[in-house]
Amino acid sequence: MDGAYRSGPAGRFLAWSTALYLVLPILIVLPVALTDQRFLSLPYERISLQHFRTVLTSPEWLGSIWQSFTIALASTALSVVAGTLCAIGCWRISRRATEMVRVLMLLPLIIPSIVYAIGLYRYFGALDLLDRFLGVVIAHGVTGIPYVVITVSTALAAFDPRLEQAARGMGASLSQTLRWVILPRIAPGIFSGAIFAFIHSWDELVMVLFIASRDVFTLPRRIWDGINENLDPAMAAVAVLLILFTLLLLMADLALRRRSQGR
Amino acid sequence: MSGAGRPGAGWWLLLLPALVLVVVFYVAPIAQVLTISVTEPEPGLGNYERLFTSPAVQRVILTTLRICIITTAIALLLGYAIAYAITLASPRARGWWILAVLVPLWISVLVRAFAWVTLLRRQGLVNNTLLELGVIAEPLPLVWNEFGIIVGMVHYMVPFAVLPMLASMREIDPRLLAAARGLGASRGEVFRRVFLPLSMPGVIAAGVLVFIFSLGFYITPAILGGGKTLMVAEWIGLQILDLVRWGLGTMMATMLVVAILLTLAVFSRIVDLRRIFGAGG
Amino acid sequence: MSEPKGHALALLSLTKKYGDFVAVADVTLDVGRGEFLTLLGPSGSGKTTILMAVAGFVAPTAGAILLDGRDITPLPPEKRDFGMVFQGYALFPHMTVAENVAFPLRVRRLPRAERDARVRAALDLVQLEAFADRLPRQLSGGQQQRVALARALVFDPALLLLDEPLSALDKKLRAELQEELKALHRRVGRTFVNVTHDQEEALSLSDRIAILNHGRLVQAGAPGALYERPRTRFVADFLGKSNFLEGTVWGPAPGGFALDVGGARLAVRLPDGESPPAEGARSLLSLRPEKVALLSGEESAENIAEGRILAFAYHGTGFALRVETAHLGEIRAILPAWKAPIAPAEGLAVRLGWAADAAVPVQEDAA
Ligand SMILES: Nc1ncnc2c1ncn2[C@@H]1O[C@H](COP(=O)(O)OP(=O)(O)O)[C@@H](O)[C@H]1O
Ligand SMILES: [Mg+2]
Repeated sequence: MDGAYRSGPAGRFLAWSTALYLVLPILIVLPVALTDQRFLSLPYERISLQHFRTVLTSPEWLGSIWQSFTIALASTALSVVAGTLCAIGCWRISRRATEMVRVLMLLPLIIPSIVYAIGLYRYFGALDLLDRFLGVVIAHGVTGIPYVVITVSTALAAFDPRLEQAARGMGASLSQTLRWVILPRIAPGIFSGAIFAFIHSWDELVMVLFIASRDVFTLPRRIWDGINENLDPAMAAVAVLLILFTLLLLMADLALRRRSQGR
Repeated sequence: MSGAGRPGAGWWLLLLPALVLVVVFYVAPIAQVLTISVTEPEPGLGNYERLFTSPAVQRVILTTLRICIITTAIALLLGYAIAYAITLASPRARGWWILAVLVPLWISVLVRAFAWVTLLRRQGLVNNTLLELGVIAEPLPLVWNEFGIIVGMVHYMVPFAVLPMLASMREIDPRLLAAARGLGASRGEVFRRVFLPLSMPGVIAAGVLVFIFSLGFYITPAILGGGKTLMVAEWIGLQILDLVRWGLGTMMATMLVVAILLTLAVFSRIVDLRRIFGAGG
Repeated sequence: MSEPKGHALALLSLTKKYGDFVAVADVTLDVGRGEFLTLLGPSGSGKTTILMAVAGFVAPTAGAILLDGRDITPLPPEKRDFGMVFQGYALFPHMTVAENVAFPLRVRRLPRAERDARVRAALDLVQLEAFADRLPRQLSGGQQQRVALARALVFDPALLLLDEPLSALDKKLRAELQEELKALHRRVGRTFVNVTHDQEEALSLSDRIAILNHGRLVQAGAPGALYERPRTRFVADFLGKSNFLEGTVWGPAPGGFALDVGGARLAVRLPDGESPPAEGARSLLSLRPEKVALLSGEESAENIAEGRILAFAYHGTGFALRVETAHLGEIRAILPAWKAPIAPAEGLAVRLGWAADAAVPVQEDAA
């Protein structure tokens, strides 16, 4: 109905301004990264890729990128396995009996990471996990579980429990049912959860500030130091690379969702 | 579950890995924080007394509450405008709007804080442009103060505000809006008397979400506050890392958790918390 | 209520296109003061679009809408002062029944006292005084429907528009509310424009029916006239059931003409003033099943067809027969149970008969 109801000029203006406020500041890092100057500014005479070169040839930046990547991969694996199994269990056992478990799994979303970070600082100190790859993987893996639990639960909500009962009725064991009936159906949900858990670890800074110092120096940690110590255009180049990487992951997620809906 | 009867013990085993991980590596460290707050430097509620006696502690709390309330209010307003635009947009335009919300949501908070520093600092793009245009004679203090913190926090929170509001707006039957107009209501009245009240559950959910996220926010206030305006999260970090006052730091961390859980408990009577935390909750 | 209070509505060449798709094509229609007009047509025939154009929600691509001769096409919906009952009612879920009904008065800034009085009167009209403080979801479907009616009537609208007002109700309730709606129309004396795809509802409620197909107005008229003298095959088929007999005009006959169908000659009598088609032309007849009688022994009729019963069904009030005839193909007949001269059985040889004015020439629909 074309004459039905549209927002007024004030509402439209506010919405447009907000959209610009959300997007423009993020876009601004691109021209800054391409500047020909040695300080944060827009390009003066020409655009230059020198700052990208600086970043991509610096052993420090590359080392941090690699470290962040491996940590994110390992912690995503942890989150996905634990989160998926937990979501399936909760789904099958019934809502009421597992209400507490669900709330427990969502805690990392609710409790600020600063609280967890100072707790870990002390806890990992006793376990000798400070400044260790394994320590960061555990911290990121545990706090990534909620993303997987949510996406997998959503995928399961659209799944008929009778299919599982039918499979069991035909003699399939629990692990056969999982592998052949349930997992294939919720694979897109698991993948979404994996992407979110990956981004979570890849971007995580607060915990790293407390439980890592020298041997483990992730990308966010290096950016943090950069912002606090030397604001130079190389930081903008890193920001651009990070944005591109995030967009790539989100597009992969989107494409996958499209495909699973198209079926 | 009908028919097949009670699920076997095998299904409970599926919960085990996540439960063990969360209890051993999440709940335990946090429980330790709570314990430290009543045992160090000496057993008792000495740390909590500081809430009433220390002006510094009170100042941090008040600053945090003020910033959080302002952030929540602005994020709700802006988020509402976007959610409203998305709800009423044509399907094609809707995709672009949602992109404008979701992309910032997933871009690193550090990158965003960095972008704001680039824009807002003394020799930043905004000040430089205004100076060159002759609008101002002196650079404006846009960052490393409360203003900068709020600009950055609102930027981070708007997407979180949009999602619950959008969900509740999409439940509104568009025929109700047409009906209201057909019955003689002007566009403003349709909004005020029909759309706004029906979208209220989403607004409340969004408000709770943004508020509790803001309370414990660390990175953006730390970068854009420049160490001068302290919010609780940064203050806690300072106590632990620089001053090694575990008792005070954990006390404040405990208060933070209590404040968040209290907010949730109060509002869970008004709105379905599932609205806040999505379908999995 | 001798003098009608309502307003007159006129659609002039109303057209609505969605891209290349024509949803409403050149519809011209008058609705008289105080008339109950029903737009009837299959789903997708453009009924809602026409109603929404009248209400102001759909901007016509071409044509005009006049109220008492005044062009209202450019007016926004809230300026038209039309009451509207939406498909599915569209009651505001966050308002009580009374608040729902008061809504049109509130936005018109009526003083409190008058508002309350009129809300009470409107709820009274639909017998819902006792439910004033309930929320819509606490009401049954029929009660919600009545709230929607009260809300649409409370501000004394120039016109009441109803979009499939009864389609969400079960059959028994529908019949009940049909009567109420009709009584309501008589009591308030307003012009009603109703939309439905249910032919029985249209026949029993309306003063006049406009039949639509593929966005075109096919025929408009009083229910009886439409039923008795459909102009096209579509109308005859959509409004009630019909047998169709196609043949060649054999020649004129007293008061009508004779038609040759598969070798049998049928007599067709036309109403006064209608001239018979030319000799040799093709002609299509519509014959209502209930106008076909089963002839006993020596009984005679102007038209007779012999055949065998293919199938029959007992409907309580009567029998429905399918008869395979020698020349005319399959013919359906509906006989009142008390009038059936024989006990029907499959394969039984029977003679069917009907009067010369029972069959009506209709046009084949344009493709
Ligand atoms: N907004 C629209 N865009 C495109 N086509 C539409 C739109 N609204 C209605 N139509 C089409 O116009 C035709 C008539 O619709 P409608 O008036 O709703 O029919 P009815 O109410 O008789 O079922 C339908 O084929 C429908 O698909
Ligand atoms: Mg319709």
